[in-house]
Amino acid sequence: MIRVDWQVDLRRIGVVALRVVRQLKRDRRTIGLITFAPILLMILFGYALSGDMSGVTLGLVDGGGHSIMKSHLEGIKDFNILYLGSESDAEKLVSQGLLNGAVVLEPHEVRVLLDSTSIQIANTILAAAQAGAEEEMASSLQKASLQSQGPQKQPGGQPSLIVTRYLFGYDLEMMDTVGPAILGLVVFFFTFINASIAFIRERSQGTLEKFMVSPLSRIEMVSGYVLGFSFFTLLQSTTTLLVVTFGFGVPMRGNPLTALAIVLLLGAGALVLGSFFSNFARSEFQVVQFIPLIITPQIVLCGVWWPLQSVPEFIRPISYILPLTYAGDALRAVMLKGASVTDILYPDLFALGVFFLVFFSAATLMLRREVG
Amino acid sequence: MADNGRAPAVSARGVVKSFGRMKVLDDLTVDIPRGVTYCLLGPNGSGKTTFIRAVVGLLKLDGGDLQVLDQPVSQVQEIYSRIGYMTQHKALYPDLTLQENLEFFAGLYSIEKQEREKRITELLEMVNLLEHRHRLAGDLSGGMYQRLSLACTLIHEPELLLLDEPTVGVDPRLRQTFWEYFDRLTAEGKTVLITTHLMDEAEKCKIVGYMRAGRMTAVGSPDEIKRLAGLRPHLELWLKDPEKDAARLRAQGYEIEIDKGVVQLRLESHDQIKSVLEEVTPLDMRLKEPTLEQAFLQLSEAA
Repeated sequence: MIRVDWQVDLRRIGVVALRVVRQLKRDRRTIGLITFAPILLMILFGYALSGDMSGVTLGLVDGGGHSIMKSHLEGIKDFNILYLGSESDAEKLVSQGLLNGAVVLEPHEVRVLLDSTSIQIANTILAAAQAGAEEEMASSLQKASLQSQGPQKQPGGQPSLIVTRYLFGYDLEMMDTVGPAILGLVVFFFTFINASIAFIRERSQGTLEKFMVSPLSRIEMVSGYVLGFSFFTLLQSTTTLLVVTFGFGVPMRGNPLTALAIVLLLGAGALVLGSFFSNFARSEFQVVQFIPLIITPQIVLCGVWWPLQSVPEFIRPISYILPLTYAGDALRAVMLKGASVTDILYPDLFALGVFFLVFFSAATLMLRREVG
Repeated sequence: MADNGRAPAVSARGVVKSFGRMKVLDDLTVDIPRGVTYCLLGPNGSGKTTFIRAVVGLLKLDGGDLQVLDQPVSQVQEIYSRIGYMTQHKALYPDLTLQENLEFFAGLYSIEKQEREKRITELLEMVNLLEHRHRLAGDLSGGMYQRLSLACTLIHEPELLLLDEPTVGVDPRLRQTFWEYFDRLTAEGKTVLITTHLMDEAEKCKIVGYMRAGRMTAVGSPDEIKRLAGLRPHLELWLKDPEKDAARLRAQGYEIEIDKGVVQLRLESHDQIKSVLEEVTPLDMRLKEPTLEQAFLQLSEAA
């Protein structure tokens, strides 16, 4: 029979929360995963995606001139330079895959041969060549200004020097920018999986049916879960924050408590999402199958590893409904820019709050619908 | 019946419930009086569990009227604190200790700490698990798990107990303890509704309702059910001259069969034994009561 129950008894919520804590506390493997997974992910994402390349084999065809660019390329320690006699040799070796790319220096032109099947390596070589060109240009400008006896005048027709000014993060590495997102990701991932499995178990072991025939309302039940899991979210985010900041040296310019609050809100969202999706799974095995559906889009589309601007416009709305997009943004704002709660209230905290409320309602309603 | 003139604990009138095309409860009408152990007996798929789930409001009925402890079933959630429901699933947390499981269920019913401790000890004692109270429920054997599940169902002293096959895997001696406990509960005016496949258990119930294809086909005390199935007690008589004595008894109107020299006499009631003994003097005799199982088979075949 459909029943609407809005009653909320804080003690009963506490009873459910205490039980959840007791159960999780006994689950040593989960506790271990909660602690070590962030470290592993930091290493994986942080180092693998750091953008630094080593072992790039570059062919160099020296056809004269460009000594500055040549020495720039030779100075890059991660490049293994192979000196070649002609451009056709270079072309051959690149197409055979023996070289990652080649730079052909000629007095009036510099040609860069690239193998774009590995776009990151191609970009690295191109960036190195461009940096060499910039260096060369800077040196020729310096010469030109010395010749014209004054730095205030720019010689006509000469391209201007590009000056890059970093507003934030001038000293940041890839690790620093992904660190906050990893914090969000691990909390989201583990809470989602653990919560879905917990709710699946409530169903399969018959306890859910027993709750239905007890004074415990659905709101109390889901709230109890949110509260109980929050202790672990807190534990996990504190460990992850410590690992991220002290272990990997990611800056914490804002208030760590603000960062924890963001993660707690994200964790609560992941929990109710997990509870909601558990309605569509019949076993723990099926919950795991949700990972590509629920977790992967968040990783790909949250704007941390690939910027939102690079997400095609027709997919971008999805990015804007995923909680990790907002949590990642808010965490980076707090940790890297020192933002306060008021700075991230809108849209980040607001969006996370709305996400939680929508799926909290959906999760409680679905629990009710489950009854035939 | 021990209903003290009050309305039945559960009263169903023409209850209908279908799952897809299958009618699981088909115009089911039954009254379960207060203060009795009532057994729902019937083959698999006869609708016993569905009926219990309907009583606790877990199913939306397609028709009929169902009252539970004077409440229409649509408002049964208001009296959940007065109902104890034990599913076939056991419904426990294997990663909590026995004590923690009981504490949790006590918490759902807002039982105060002092009272809670008292009841936990009492119930663990009843189900003979007191010494295991700090063990994880997942480490218990099947029967122990079942006993803990029963204890969790009883923690809030429900007025109406709905037990779906509560004694599966419980050894006979402990089963006896359960029944003594149920008797104690019914003596206090509580109602116990049980589904079971075990005939000897059904025999212990005050009333047995025999369900078949979603209907109640026979209701009564175990003796009444047996009579309804056309079963009667038999008197086996070892006589000096079976043929002659049998003829005499037949002349008195008794239904007699002779099997390997033993006279089998069908009794309409136990009172007839005395008059039989006035007619013949047996060398030896034995009273053979029909079992509920025979009645059950008889009723199944008849249907």
